[in-house]
Amino acid sequence: MTPTDHESTALADARPGPGKTSDRDAILLLSLFGLAILFTMAGVAARLFHAKERSLGQEWYARGEADLKAGRAPVAIEDFRNALAYARDDPFYRLHLALALAAADRNEEARAHLLNLWERQPGDGTVNLELARLAARQGKTADAVRYFHNAIFGVWPGNPDEARRDVRFELCDFLLARGLKAEAQAALMELATKLPKDADLHVRVADLFLAAADYPHALAEFRQALDVSNRNEQALAGAGEVAFRMGDFRTARRYLDRAVRLNPQKRDAAGLLEITNLVLALDPQARGISARERAARVVRAFGLATARLEACAAKRQEVLRSAEPDPEIRLLSDRAKQIRPKVKERTLARDADLLTQTTDLVFEVEQVCQQKCEPATGGDLALLLLARQRGGAEP
Amino acid sequence: MSADPVASPPPAPSDTRPLGMTDRLRSLRAAWTSGRVRLPLREDHLFLLLAVIIGLYSGLAVVLFRISIDWARLRFLGSALAPSWPRVVLVPGVVGLVVAFLVIHFFPRVRGSGVNQTKAAMYIYDGYIPFNTVIGKFITCVLAIGSGQSLGPEDPALQMGAGMASALGRGLRLTREKLRLIAPVGAAAGLAAAFNAPISAVLFVIEEVIGKWSAGVLGAIVLAAVSSVVVERGFLGEEPLFRVPPYHLVHPAELLAYAALGVIGGFASIFFVKLVAWARAHLKRLPRWTQYVQPALAGLLIGFIGIWFPQVMGAGYVFIDQAMHDQFTWQILALLGAFKILSTSLSFTSGTPGGMFAPTLFIGAMVGGAVGGIEHYFFPWLTGSVGAYALVGMGVFFAGFLRAPFTSVFMILEVSGNYSIIVPVMISNTIAYLLSRRFQATPLFDVFSRQDGMDLPSMEEQREETILRVEDAMRPYAGPFLRDEDRVADALRRAEESALNFLLLPGANGVWRGFRKDTLQKLVREGKGDMLLGIAVTEKPLPWVHPDQPLEVALREIRDLPLLPVVHRADFRKLEGVLSLSDILGAYHAEARREKQEEPTADGGG
Repeated sequence: MTPTDHESTALADARPGPGKTSDRDAILLLSLFGLAILFTMAGVAARLFHAKERSLGQEWYARGEADLKAGRAPVAIEDFRNALAYARDDPFYRLHLALALAAADRNEEARAHLLNLWERQPGDGTVNLELARLAARQGKTADAVRYFHNAIFGVWPGNPDEARRDVRFELCDFLLARGLKAEAQAALMELATKLPKDADLHVRVADLFLAAADYPHALAEFRQALDVSNRNEQALAGAGEVAFRMGDFRTARRYLDRAVRLNPQKRDAAGLLEITNLVLALDPQARGISARERAARVVRAFGLATARLEACAAKRQEVLRSAEPDPEIRLLSDRAKQIRPKVKERTLARDADLLTQTTDLVFEVEQVCQQKCEPATGGDLALLLLARQRGGAEP
Repeated sequence: MSADPVASPPPAPSDTRPLGMTDRLRSLRAAWTSGRVRLPLREDHLFLLLAVIIGLYSGLAVVLFRISIDWARLRFLGSALAPSWPRVVLVPGVVGLVVAFLVIHFFPRVRGSGVNQTKAAMYIYDGYIPFNTVIGKFITCVLAIGSGQSLGPEDPALQMGAGMASALGRGLRLTREKLRLIAPVGAAAGLAAAFNAPISAVLFVIEEVIGKWSAGVLGAIVLAAVSSVVVERGFLGEEPLFRVPPYHLVHPAELLAYAALGVIGGFASIFFVKLVAWARAHLKRLPRWTQYVQPALAGLLIGFIGIWFPQVMGAGYVFIDQAMHDQFTWQILALLGAFKILSTSLSFTSGTPGGMFAPTLFIGAMVGGAVGGIEHYFFPWLTGSVGAYALVGMGVFFAGFLRAPFTSVFMILEVSGNYSIIVPVMISNTIAYLLSRRFQATPLFDVFSRQDGMDLPSMEEQREETILRVEDAMRPYAGPFLRDEDRVADALRRAEESALNFLLLPGANGVWRGFRKDTLQKLVREGKGDMLLGIAVTEKPLPWVHPDQPLEVALREIRDLPLLPVVHRADFRKLEGVLSLSDILGAYHAEARREKQEEPTADGGG
């Protein structure tokens, strides 16, 4: 039958006439019945299909996770892409795709996915953190800091306080790695105010303050850690180190001594304690010692300094293969030779000017030798630290 | 449903026994079968109700259609976006053989463009679309698109909607006029559900199928489109086909970059149209037996392309989405655009059932993304994200390839939900559309209909048709300007000085009357020379027209009048000119002569 035949048949009856209205109503009702059947079919089909999509998405996601863990980032990328094809708006799959892309050094693609997630959830902590990490990897410091801050103030599932704290730690690490100490100090102070009573966390923050060269805050944090746990070795060693760096050698010895007693195997602390003891034993300007003792310390220090100067002069000549010693060292040697006969305990105890002059010479010798020769050790190191402390520099 | 109070007689007064449920049902059944109970619906109301029902049917059909395509893809090609190469190479070819067999032996009408078939139903077959076309389109397109042929589901959805609407309309014995209109209503519903974009669907059907805005059909189309989209979203979710990246204009100068996209996209779409038109014409001329293998060969070639670029297989919405989110480099985007043009041309021209909407969007997104990527490479400070260019590129191809400029703009607005993108979209789309019109005189759908031996009305040609207006034919009034208060004898004297035989007399409230010169002579002979003209002349008021009205209005109004007054729109007493039948015909002749002189070389589009 041609369309025209059909049409003529259909149109012959097309005019609604008497007796045909109920036919029309019946067809209308039938069509509604047909709709009900189609609705059921579509509902069943859609439910089955959505279930299938979900299971395929999960299957590909699991594969992606396995591949990513196994270090097969390019394969994982395809897996996550497939997972996303079945759950296009699943932020979890997309986040993992971004992580896989980042792992494969496809940073721009990773960024595109993360930005896509960010556009939909600009306050999501995880997304902001990953964007921050990506920006950090790409050397975009300003972007990284911005996203780190977004992450800190973002929404986190589970334990948001802990997640935000971790981000703050990461931000501080990043800032310190970039040498942005002032920004790191600001971030650390913010972090310090949010810490619970947990010795390890205080120690961690104190270490970061130490790395940021903010010794007072670092010491305060180590002390807070010790308030929580007074036998915390790391806190004791850290507090000792901070005190040492601040030039407060007595305090340093107190903490380091406790740290070493608690754990004699703690070599760093033991080494620092040894130097601290030497500093305290050699310090000619220590308060509360007698004039005789002060003079004795200067004589000892002079002996150490001149020995180091001679050794250094010989070394310099050897290194430079020159018959003549280094002019600066020669000058110091000359001054030492000149003063040597007078450097006696009894003389120095009586002559305060000579004592000061000798002390100055000792410190100058140690500083010059530190510049020109090998790093100081033992008593020389102690004298050098004292010299720096007197010069206002960090020990 | 309610019983007609007039048609249902009240119970007999003698019957006082209360009616039980069984009795009530029995009487209702009797009333129903006798035709005394009916739905109180007028034809217009029924048409609107039917539009909703059609929308629901279309929405459900599209839900099942899309799910079936996805199932088929899973079965044929597996669940990975990049299937294994044996599947990629073999599946489209093997399934192509099955599709060809089904098309040739069972569903010969499913071949070709659904848009044209809907237009044919409307303009040639009084709204008739056989229902087996709906079934055939569903089955063959599921197989073809699911196996990776580079075609989309929108055009088939449009045709299925039209087919279901036609079947319902016939079943409900609508009038011939309504039957003609019901197919486009279904087409809009099908397209709306397939695109998940009701505004674009309504516009497309108005722009490409019906060609004119009419309040009656517009309401039905909107109802059908909205109800189908509601159903589709209910089952498949609210998500649009693709997630659109945020857009903002980086700098006003960026509009130049979008203009460049319009130029490149315009030329690419012209190439695509010419390739499809040329290949279709040539493949149609091959012996009939080749129709068995054409889809298979096309599938095989697409399979080979799919080994390296699996993205070109199927509708490719996932990859449009990826392109809009900067997932490809511009080089890959350009290659994907080029290979999609090739693979879609192969699929469509081989007679494989399926639509070109999705491939058009795919190519547009890839070309747009590639252009955006290049521009971003050279002018990073000037251009925004590549995704925004991919989005605009879709509109560019829609305007250049499908030649639906209005739809192309609104579609991008609808899918992006971002009004600020309208300026770049309008610039790019307009350039692409104008270029396409300049270098490809005949729109794609018209090329197809002419290749199929039909002369369906071209909506673009209708839009561009020169309209002759009254002002093109009118001439100045050469007679005396008479007034109601003139004496008949004076009027006759002045009329004698004029060569014009038919005189015009303006009256109060802009009423114009006309009379012949001999009417005045007769009045004078009867001794009424001193009468006022307004009283003596008793002719009926003349119809009048305005200078800007189409000339056909004048043709309708003039009837057997010697002259038709042309009056000012704001002052009906002011005569702008007059028209006679010979003036009107003369204007039509002159226009015909002009068109003949300007007629371009016929473009069959290959």
